[in-house]
Amino acid sequence: MRPTAWQRLDHLQPLLAGMLVVLGLMTVYSAHADWVRQLVWVVLGAAAYVAATAFDYRRLQALAPWLYVAMLGLLLAVRLIGHTALGAQRWLSIGGFPLQPSELSKLVLVVVLAAYLSRLAGPSWRGFLGALALVAPVAALILTQPDLGTTIVVAALLVGMLFLAGARIAQLGSLAACAVIAVPLLPYLLHGYQRRRLEIFLNPGSDPLGAGYNLLQARIAVGAGGLFGQGWLHGLQGTLGFVPERATDFVFAVFAEQFGLLGSLLLLALFGILLIRLLRSAALAPDRFGGLVACGVFVVILAQVVENVGMNIGLLPIAGISLPLISYGGSATVTTLAALGLVQSVMLRRPLLVQPRPLLSGNITLRAQA
Amino acid sequence: MVAAAGVVVLMVGVLTLKLAQLQVYDSSNLAALARANTVHRTVLEADRGIIYDRHGVALVQNTPVWNLQVVPANLPTDARERAAELATLARLVGQPEDRSEASLVIADPFSPARIGADLTEAQVLAVTERLPSLPGASIAHHAVRTYTDPLTFGHLVGYVGPLDDTDLQRLKPLGYQPDEVVGKVGVEAGLESVLRGTDGWADVVVDARGQIVKTIAMQPPVAGHAVYLTIDASLQVATSHALAAGLSRDGKTAGASVVIDPQSGEVLALVSLPGYDTNLFIHGISQAAYNGLLTNPDRPLLNRAIAGQYAPGSTFKMVTAIAGLQEGKITPQTMLGCPSYLNYGGWIYHNWATYNLGYMNVAKALAVSCDTFFYQVAAMVGDVTLARYARAFGFGQAKDLEMPGVESGLVPDRIWKQLTCGVPDLNSDACRWTLGDTITFGIGQSALLTTPLNQAVYVAALANGGFVLQPTLVHLVRDASGRVTATQQRRVVGTVPASADNLQAVREGMREEINRPYNMNYWFRAAGVPADGGGKTGTAQWGGSGLNTPTHAWFVFFAPFAQPDIAMSVFVEGGELSEVEAAPIGVDIMQFNLNNHAAIRSATPLPPA
Repeated sequence: MRPTAWQRLDHLQPLLAGMLVVLGLMTVYSAHADWVRQLVWVVLGAAAYVAATAFDYRRLQALAPWLYVAMLGLLLAVRLIGHTALGAQRWLSIGGFPLQPSELSKLVLVVVLAAYLSRLAGPSWRGFLGALALVAPVAALILTQPDLGTTIVVAALLVGMLFLAGARIAQLGSLAACAVIAVPLLPYLLHGYQRRRLEIFLNPGSDPLGAGYNLLQARIAVGAGGLFGQGWLHGLQGTLGFVPERATDFVFAVFAEQFGLLGSLLLLALFGILLIRLLRSAALAPDRFGGLVACGVFVVILAQVVENVGMNIGLLPIAGISLPLISYGGSATVTTLAALGLVQSVMLRRPLLVQPRPLLSGNITLRAQA
Repeated sequence: MVAAAGVVVLMVGVLTLKLAQLQVYDSSNLAALARANTVHRTVLEADRGIIYDRHGVALVQNTPVWNLQVVPANLPTDARERAAELATLARLVGQPEDRSEASLVIADPFSPARIGADLTEAQVLAVTERLPSLPGASIAHHAVRTYTDPLTFGHLVGYVGPLDDTDLQRLKPLGYQPDEVVGKVGVEAGLESVLRGTDGWADVVVDARGQIVKTIAMQPPVAGHAVYLTIDASLQVATSHALAAGLSRDGKTAGASVVIDPQSGEVLALVSLPGYDTNLFIHGISQAAYNGLLTNPDRPLLNRAIAGQYAPGSTFKMVTAIAGLQEGKITPQTMLGCPSYLNYGGWIYHNWATYNLGYMNVAKALAVSCDTFFYQVAAMVGDVTLARYARAFGFGQAKDLEMPGVESGLVPDRIWKQLTCGVPDLNSDACRWTLGDTITFGIGQSALLTTPLNQAVYVAALANGGFVLQPTLVHLVRDASGRVTATQQRRVVGTVPASADNLQAVREGMREEINRPYNMNYWFRAAGVPADGGGKTGTAQWGGSGLNTPTHAWFVFFAPFAQPDIAMSVFVEGGELSEVEAAPIGVDIMQFNLNNHAAIRSATPLPPA
């Protein structure tokens, strides 16, 4: 028996992604953002998804060094000729379309790290340091844009992939130790507004009209949603603009105000199942590279969901991170969908391991892989 | 893999717990905050009632003005953007840029603060166009009082002004807001509760920029009532002009006149000069301008018609005459001497004439205003009885006119003298009422004080057969829908204890006075006004005694003699010769009254609501 391509695909994953995209479009619409443009991005993202699925992910392994160099080039280009918005230089204009290379870099870094880690024989300190060396210049370029949010995601990606690739506890421990040492230095490393955000997170009531405004208004919006929500298009805080960055960083607050706790839990459940499906894909991957790619995509999405929702409800400090598939934004939407397509590509190319099991109970059990 | 799945479950679990806390446990609090954020109650200002004259001539208008205001809390939080926006706003309304920021420091961050008042139409347009890019800013519409001819009507109509601290304490229970205006003086203050109207409100949903998105509930405002005064605007103007002309003829600067309908008590004109521009007070007068008014030696802020208290002088002699007649001390035929002086208790009391005018009856004594005649009558009547008659004519009584600040004047008596003599021993000579006090009281001196309004009511009582009327300024009141809610009825507050014969004898004396051929009658003939009525002049001394003491000039008058329909008092501050200074003013007023009699007395046609 040979499973058809159709059978090998993860059917649930695009379904979940599709549901999230629909919820995202509804929320973006309610937040008075340019939903038509977002719809265009979603269509482009769907195309990228299909293309990535069709593309043989194994060829990326050889392309990884070039992708890495290209990514560094793009990030450098942002530094030199990029657009500045909201006090940070993050955008490149490609044929009139704004491109955010830091979004793209997350996917590229997934591929590069997967390629690098899959070649390592075992969890050596040399390999560990090599991974750090690969990530460091990227993180530095993104942090100094400044884009704290993406930097956090990149750091989480590194730690998560090292962990999933089987790094030693000591290696991860040393990273944790570095973090502990770095925290006291944080005030000196952070930009003024980033430091302020941290202070506000620690004491949100200190300046209700100033820097604490975003945090407070987002929390008010979430709380105003209550159990069942105000109803779609009926959220006062979100639709009237009290929630800042309502289509991007604080889109979750806008969503939660309209759809309430039930809607929020549905959203988290969709993300949770999607993440579990990504882990399953990692487990089913035909090779270590493919598995690590799926792991990387898993880590990127997990980190973004946790940080974004966390900062929207006042659990984590504010860092500019979009909610995957929900927030308004072309680069992020297309990149995320392409990443999911890449995982699908891994699923599509898993070995045709058809192992007819002994008949145990008159039933044929097919298990793809342990 | 299992560990990673565990991480997912753990993270989702933690987020769920926090979400449940916010959306279930804290939900009602946060929802209230959201509502407070987005639903604002705005006050819908009620139009203040218009004040008209008796024929519907508007004496004040509500002029629409547009003010630029900002809610400080809705301004950009970034200091530089905030300063830039304020600078833009200041530039759009043509104000110095540094002022707006400073004025916002003290303002309540959540209430609109005015940073530009009385914008021109072009400014309103310019700001409105740019409002979408100016968070926190808005244009507010107000109605502002604009007074017609304030120098003529100012003392009468008064003005409104911003609430001061004492106003606010007094009026807060009535729902007044700190940014409201309130009537300060004149009819504006006296009829505040009628004119004010009831503000409405609207609960509006505003977006983060403070722009109104929709209205969810509202209570429309109810405009204040329109008040039709008893004043005839043309007569008021004529009275003001006659008084001003008379004053300038004789080099005087201050005076007052009250014209009243002696049958109804309706005040037809109420003038106090000098006037002042009440429109200066609308937005709160500048300190310099206010100091100018305060230090002006002519005291323009004093409404002399109701609050100027002066000795009535000879105009009081009708009271003394009535008292003597009614108490049986004299009859209309009793002849008393009119020497150039009399001696009471070793003191010499002079007549105005340095020669003996011979024996005369009371009417003649009034006509020639013989002081020594009335010294004798006053001495016969006695101070206690004289004070009773004075009070019966409304002296010493603050009239219940529809404006604040009405003064009573003063009827002196023995107790008053003891209380005010300023000596600890109340039985000392300085505190004892003397015969000299009594006889000077009899010619309207002593410590007797009256106001032009009281004088008008007094002469009206002489004119109408002894009824002391409640003077009133309100002809009728109409609510916002045009319905008449109040009309003024004639109110008699007292009757003079005088028989018709005795009253008639006094009135004859008043008629005789204005008909004296080489004296008062000259003015009537010159003006072409029939001397059909009764009048009395008075030159009242004040601030001491002796030949060169300063004086005020009075003239009281009613007409026509048989059926009086007009009574008036004319007062010239510092006037030296009442026959020359005060009387011609009264004659001029009378001339206008006669020439426009039909128009002044025509029934009020109600203008459409």
